[in-house]
Amino acid sequence: MTSFHPDKVTAERLTGNKASTGPQGPPRDDGTLLEDPSVRSPLVLNNRSLHDVTEIVCGYAENPPGKWWLPLFMFTATVAGIGTLMILYLLITGVGVWGLNNQVGWAWDITNFVFWIGIGHAGTLISAILCLFKQKWRTAVNRSAEAMTIFAVICAGIFPGIHVGRVWFIWYVFPIPNSNAIWPNFRSPLLWDVFAVSTYATVSLLFWFMGMIPDFATLRDRADKRLRAGSGLSKLSVQCPITGIKFFSLPFSADGVRALVYGFLALGWRGSSRHWHRYEAAYLILAGVATPLVLSVHSIVSFDFATSVIPGWHTTIFPPYFVAGAIFGGFAMVLFLLIPAREIFPNFKDILTLRHLENMAKIILVTGMMVGFAYAMEFFIAWYGGNKFEVEVFINRATGPYWWAYWTMIFCNVVTPQVFWKRSMRTSPLAIWTVALFVTVGMWFERFVIIVSSLHRAFLPGEWHMFFPTAVDILTFVGSCGIFLTLFLLFLRFLPIFPLAEIKAVMPQGDPHGHSDDHDQSDKNNAEGGH
Amino acid sequence: MVITDLLADYAPFLFSRKAKYATEAGEPIWGVMAQFDDVVNAYHAAEKMRDAGFKHWDLHAPFPIHGIEEAMGIKRTILPFIVLGAMFTGVAVAAGMQWWITAVDYTGFTVQGKPYGAWQPFAMIIFEIGVLFSAFASLFGMLMLNGLPRWNHPLFCKDRFLDSSDDKFFVVVEARDPSFNPEQTSRFLREIGATAVELVEDA
Amino acid sequence: MSQIGAESYEQIMAGVAADPRMDRDNVSAPAGAAASLSRLLLGAGAAGLAITLVGGFVLGAQHALASYVVAVGAVLAASLGALCMLMIFHLVNAGWVATTRRQFENLASLAPVALLLMLPALLIDLVVTKGALWEWMNPEAAANDFLIGQKAAYLNPVRLLVFFVLYFALWGGVSHRLRALSVEQDRTGDRFLTMKARFMSAWALPLTALTVAFAGFDYFMSIQPHFFSTMWGVYIFAGGVCAAVAIVILTFCFLQFVGRMQGLVTPEHYHDLGKLLFAFCCFWAYIGFSQYFLIWYANIPEETFWMLERTTGAWRGTAIFLAVGHFGIPFFFLMPRTVKRRPLFIGIGAAWVLFMHVIDYVWIVRPVLHHGGHAPTPASWWLDIAAIVGVFGIFFGLYVIRLGSVSLTPMRDPKLPEALKHKNYV
Repeated sequence: MTSFHPDKVTAERLTGNKASTGPQGPPRDDGTLLEDPSVRSPLVLNNRSLHDVTEIVCGYAENPPGKWWLPLFMFTATVAGIGTLMILYLLITGVGVWGLNNQVGWAWDITNFVFWIGIGHAGTLISAILCLFKQKWRTAVNRSAEAMTIFAVICAGIFPGIHVGRVWFIWYVFPIPNSNAIWPNFRSPLLWDVFAVSTYATVSLLFWFMGMIPDFATLRDRADKRLRAGSGLSKLSVQCPITGIKFFSLPFSADGVRALVYGFLALGWRGSSRHWHRYEAAYLILAGVATPLVLSVHSIVSFDFATSVIPGWHTTIFPPYFVAGAIFGGFAMVLFLLIPAREIFPNFKDILTLRHLENMAKIILVTGMMVGFAYAMEFFIAWYGGNKFEVEVFINRATGPYWWAYWTMIFCNVVTPQVFWKRSMRTSPLAIWTVALFVTVGMWFERFVIIVSSLHRAFLPGEWHMFFPTAVDILTFVGSCGIFLTLFLLFLRFLPIFPLAEIKAVMPQGDPHGHSDDHDQSDKNNAEGGH
Repeated sequence: MVITDLLADYAPFLFSRKAKYATEAGEPIWGVMAQFDDVVNAYHAAEKMRDAGFKHWDLHAPFPIHGIEEAMGIKRTILPFIVLGAMFTGVAVAAGMQWWITAVDYTGFTVQGKPYGAWQPFAMIIFEIGVLFSAFASLFGMLMLNGLPRWNHPLFCKDRFLDSSDDKFFVVVEARDPSFNPEQTSRFLREIGATAVELVEDA
Repeated sequence: MSQIGAESYEQIMAGVAADPRMDRDNVSAPAGAAASLSRLLLGAGAAGLAITLVGGFVLGAQHALASYVVAVGAVLAASLGALCMLMIFHLVNAGWVATTRRQFENLASLAPVALLLMLPALLIDLVVTKGALWEWMNPEAAANDFLIGQKAAYLNPVRLLVFFVLYFALWGGVSHRLRALSVEQDRTGDRFLTMKARFMSAWALPLTALTVAFAGFDYFMSIQPHFFSTMWGVYIFAGGVCAAVAIVILTFCFLQFVGRMQGLVTPEHYHDLGKLLFAFCCFWAYIGFSQYFLIWYANIPEETFWMLERTTGAWRGTAIFLAVGHFGIPFFFLMPRTVKRRPLFIGIGAAWVLFMHVIDYVWIVRPVLHHGGHAPTPASWWLDIAAIVGVFGIFFGLYVIRLGSVSLTPMRDPKLPEALKHKNYV
């Protein structure tokens, strides 16, 4: 047999046969899409060795990413700058520059907050929940998803910060003893939000950083190796990005900086197995506490609405419904970002295979249906509860002045994911990307529908107002997207975008029991089990 | 670990460990390291090291090897108990803070007719702070138990060791192991399948 | 393409078949003991039900119906929880669960039986006692009570019975088919039956989610027809999965005690089942707390009345016991690794959770007898115990019969090699 099939390796590994050491054939793209219940798909394609994986992943952080990166970065940074200017304008002028009015006192600001914090949840979900469920395929996406979490939480944090109007008083939310003898109100859902979101940001950062420690060590060692070999000593220079003319040289080399910075961040990690043991225990504990944390944070966000008595907001299913929506929107964002990256970066497809995309498409389908379940329950109970105002709010959502937002939400969140019932759709990156785009839009509209359509008509017709966003509203939101993408591009450029150590551990070459000589091991298990 | 060992680890420019052995060049020996090229060999080597009764030894690997705890005879870490303690601390801090502020120090501030000391609104922040403390404890507890951060280490001076974060595995025996002997230990490591064995100088 | 050859697959499965752990004796329930146990349980069940019927005449129809619905609710939720977990296992391609999945199948296949057990209560209340328990079943309720009148399009006997038939068809069909596919695989060894089960689970799970929610509305929420909560279906689901996992764990503890399933369910499997139990106790607490908390905080009379009856006055103690017993105790008891890995300890934990599951239904259903905060008379608890013994006797009698009728573990499941090697690292 000349062509080498990656499925075979996995099959044989799982069944305890020796892995083939035969010649490698041409790369196969779809090697993961097998439908055989007795075989698990390989997680890394093309029979890559451990060293190959190091080369591929570290290569992204060490080599210039190609001509697309800098223009794109400049563009997103400009957008981020516009957003920052809008925030500045808001601070100088006051919240009147937004389209808020007496009735709709929360609109795009809180919509954007919930939107971004929701996106942030997929990162911890992929890392923590899939880790607890031993879903090994998470290794291909968890790092970028965690990064996305941090960046999305940063974007999310901006909006509640600035929507208070007088930002310089925001420290009142923290329980700090002060000369006015004022304490924050611990019975307010907004204060729970402060604690929940800041805890979430901190824990996500710890989780992300902890995962990267061993990978920083790899990057450090590689830079160190080049320095010792004398090949990493050429000094950095500052040059014109367009013409390439060199302006001046810096007194240090790129590898010198890498060894220093990555070395500092690696905290002196040296891969000791005794350390790994505690590291894995700590990682599992962190996953264990992060999982309820994800649920709690978005539940608390939902409490902002559900603890109120406003029809359309007060409903008991809000906590799990918001969590499902967050997972849904977050997975969509992961796919939205990673599918283009997969096309651009070399060898990305070996690690992020079609099987990974298919799994995530399935999660989109499931969470989409969960969200649909919640929509249906809300509607049914609105009627069943017998409260006239509740019924009116829901009829108004579907047929009132914001009907287009409601039906956009239904179409994007409930209808479009249904294409994933078809396998060819689940395995087509273009189709997944398109659906991810729809879902991202739909999830923004979901928050908009919940917030604005419930507020714009209160109990008396005299209190009915429409909400119209101003340019500042729109540009602030666009600006937050710019901030998010800018940070993500920096991540793609400078950090290990795949968890090297974890990928190696789930590869066939990383399995100490995968070969025929583990009989004594399994026998020991038998003895242990037969009590 | 004895305090002098700790000082020698963290301030080698002030304190040096008394080395039992020295290289031919007269450098004190910190230990010996042996390279293994794949995980199966490394795993079996670890089992043999464990059975040979070494104490101060380690296996350096680019990723956590499944089941290595058993192969090396590593005891389960006490980290979960540290985290549990931190969790209880966080819960107590959050509950005490909220209760004291809301029900003792700053009453007269009624929200929706809720009692001042109602536990229900406190539950959220109690949970969050409990999680926050546990998360800090698990990361920093892990680092503390591992003796990290520690940016210098004798092993980092060996060029070969830089591959340990890529695809090579290193069994390392420290000179302070009671049964350590430069020649005998090196020979033993070669016997159990090492592809390269080197002495590591103290640095 | 993309499959391992039939030959090498046969070879792998021959290895599994030759495994001493898959020995005929090890994987079949002790026939005589199972038969006598099921006879004993069914006998106790029949006696319990007879006493319940008598109790209906002594203490009133409402009390007897409530006690009976508590018991049926507990087993119905448990079997539905097993059905949901079974489908989830299929959908996520779970490997470790292969040796334990048969018990989920057995339990799930009793969902239609549990539903049938509900039928007499519904019919009696519709026809004979006219809304003694389900207030809206009284033909005059809609006219006398504005809110019930509003809901008449949903709360009416025809719709109730039509939905009953739908639930029966769906749960019965799906659970029977999933079990039959697995049993057929024992015989034929066709690994692609696993794919069939997966496809079936894919479309059946969303439907099951909807029907579980509506069954929850029909049988438990509508006992107090004014009350409503969008979270209700999720609450029923969460409690049901706790009970299902607990029952499966207990089943293995018993089977291993009598010397079966040796080496097939190892500490590793107990560990993972224990994790599921732990996780779902936490999930149940999360759902239960959210539901309670939102109603408490918003403080709208149209829904608080339900929580008030159950968290203040006579039922306050039960509510606290439920929170502590269904969450607090399992949370700390099941947390250590060693507890999850020992059949004795995890068995105790599972039995406790199952007990608390029954208390959950007591808490949901029973306070309806004590409107206005009247305390339940302790002397009347014998009726509840009789109903629980009756329903549990029948249900578990049938469960034991199911257990004995097929092998205790899937024999030729393609995931068996993985499940037999299953190990929790870290």
